[in-house]
Amino acid sequence: MDWQALTLSLELAFATLLILLPSGLWLARWLARTRSRARAWIEATVVLPLVLPPTVLGYYLLMSLGGHSPIGRWASETLGITLTFNFLGLLIASVVFNIPFMVQPIQRSFESIPHNLIEASVVSGLSSWATFWRVELPLAWPGVLSALVLTFVHTLGEFGVVLMMGGNIPGETRTIAIAIYDRVQAFDLSGANRMSLLLLVFSVLAIVVSLVASGRLAPNSRARQHP
Amino acid sequence: MSLHVTIDQTRPMRLAGSFQCAPGQLVALVGPSGAGKTSLLRGIAGLMKPQHARISVGSACWCDTAQGLWVPPQQRNVGLVFQDYALMPHMNALDNVALPLRGPERLHRAREMLRRVGLAPEHLQRRPAQLSGGQQQRVAVARALVREPAVLLLDEPFSAVDQMNRQTLYALLAELREDIAVPMVLVTHDLNEARLLADELVVMAEGVVLQQGRADAIHRAPRNARVADIVGMANRFDGVWLGPDANSTAGTGWLRWGNGDAALNLTVRDKGRIEPGQSVAWVVPGEGLRLCEETAAEPATANAAPLNSLGLPVRVVTLRHLGDVWLLRLQCLDGPQASFQIMLTGPQVRPLGPGQVLQLCMDLSMVHIMPIKTGAGALASTS
Repeated sequence: MDWQALTLSLELAFATLLILLPSGLWLARWLARTRSRARAWIEATVVLPLVLPPTVLGYYLLMSLGGHSPIGRWASETLGITLTFNFLGLLIASVVFNIPFMVQPIQRSFESIPHNLIEASVVSGLSSWATFWRVELPLAWPGVLSALVLTFVHTLGEFGVVLMMGGNIPGETRTIAIAIYDRVQAFDLSGANRMSLLLLVFSVLAIVVSLVASGRLAPNSRARQHP
Repeated sequence: MSLHVTIDQTRPMRLAGSFQCAPGQLVALVGPSGAGKTSLLRGIAGLMKPQHARISVGSACWCDTAQGLWVPPQQRNVGLVFQDYALMPHMNALDNVALPLRGPERLHRAREMLRRVGLAPEHLQRRPAQLSGGQQQRVAVARALVREPAVLLLDEPFSAVDQMNRQTLYALLAELREDIAVPMVLVTHDLNEARLLADELVVMAEGVVLQQGRADAIHRAPRNARVADIVGMANRFDGVWLGPDANSTAGTGWLRWGNGDAALNLTVRDKGRIEPGQSVAWVVPGEGLRLCEETAAEPATANAAPLNSLGLPVRVVTLRHLGDVWLLRLQCLDGPQASFQIMLTGPQVRPLGPGQVLQLCMDLSMVHIMPIKTGAGALASTS
């Protein structure tokens, strides 16, 4: 078992959640509520990482953030940091490819909240902020939980984008998925097996949590509002 | 602290007219589906921003588009009971009612309000999904009232409960009304409900307020044919206003009813609002019609005068049982080809049967004539 790789993967997953949860919540709520014409385009962009081959996504990220790109040069000259082949690069890639996994379930949850509940809250004197915390977020919670689990597990397992953006530097960019690939390449099948089994267990747990979130936690949903 | 509403918009839907509601008064907005009743209510609550409007409660102005004034719904202190209650599914009954409140007393006040609306203490911790329709409605009413609103708005609150629960809830509203000294506006498409609960009706159609007044006053004198239809006046007929009667006492005039030989000229009240020669609609309310002995009324002659009862020979077409009353459909035998509907109670209807010929007495003093045209234009021409 490559504990270093597992730790790195967990750190990456938590950091991704930390960045993506607030921004994903905001974007999902905006997409659920807006009547803007830009909505369709933004939704398409949000879904893009889902359909794009990971290596293609990784390639474009590498090209746009690498040392020779304008952004990469600016980061290096102004902030003194590099954006590829390190943990930061990994994190940027992870955030980008997880956008659909975070935004879509939350957006669906916000969309399923009956609009008159929001109106009832507003007429009851609650500010937009209070309505969000006391009405919208509790009702969208199954979707939020689902999004958190999906994003977390997806980050642990992502291979292509991570390899393109981070390479395979032990302790810096070698995640558990890359470590599995590494072990197989070295014919250490029992090592690969242990780590694969761990990811399998994580994935099954994620599905269970998702199901519980969307099913058993769903007295909040519209379907059960009127018995 | 009266509520005054004046609204005029063309988009996204037509909405025009004005109405008032005094403190403690209950006004019912009635009209067919799509008449704009709920939209008007939403405008008062601040959930919709009208193109042109002025909405005020007492000295507080909530919306005055001429001044660019707009108070958001959060600051209006409106109690609104939604059609499907809009209770928070993730909160129990007590938390739902405490939602509009702040401070340490909130749960105590919510509990007290729920007691007043008659929700049993063992139901306070239940979520809406675990409550019956009637109980959910009590919670919704409690939530609307708990903040001591400046205006209470009810959007078809009784449409989702069964008939038995509805009667109990009518009683509850009647009881609560005694303690509520704020204007109350009820949206309903049920005329009986409106007449039962409201002090005044505001009749709407196609987004336009057509008439405001007491239910009996509207029934006696609907402003136009559309209003007569909306308030369900079955005995509505067409005619031609011939103009005031020069020989008769002031305040009467001639109404031609029917065509050709079968036409009758009736002497009815003249309010001087309609030009002679104009086609009109006319109604006679139920209390202006009764079955009588043949000799009691003037026979139906070509010039029935003066202003008293007109006797019409009629045949019973159908008898329908509507619970405690019977609905009779009667066909005129002489004069214009018209049919009347009257309500009778048990003892009066017992000797009657279809095909029977009777004498119908129409009290001509209760005949009301009105322009046929509808809409906002009719408002100006008749008021």
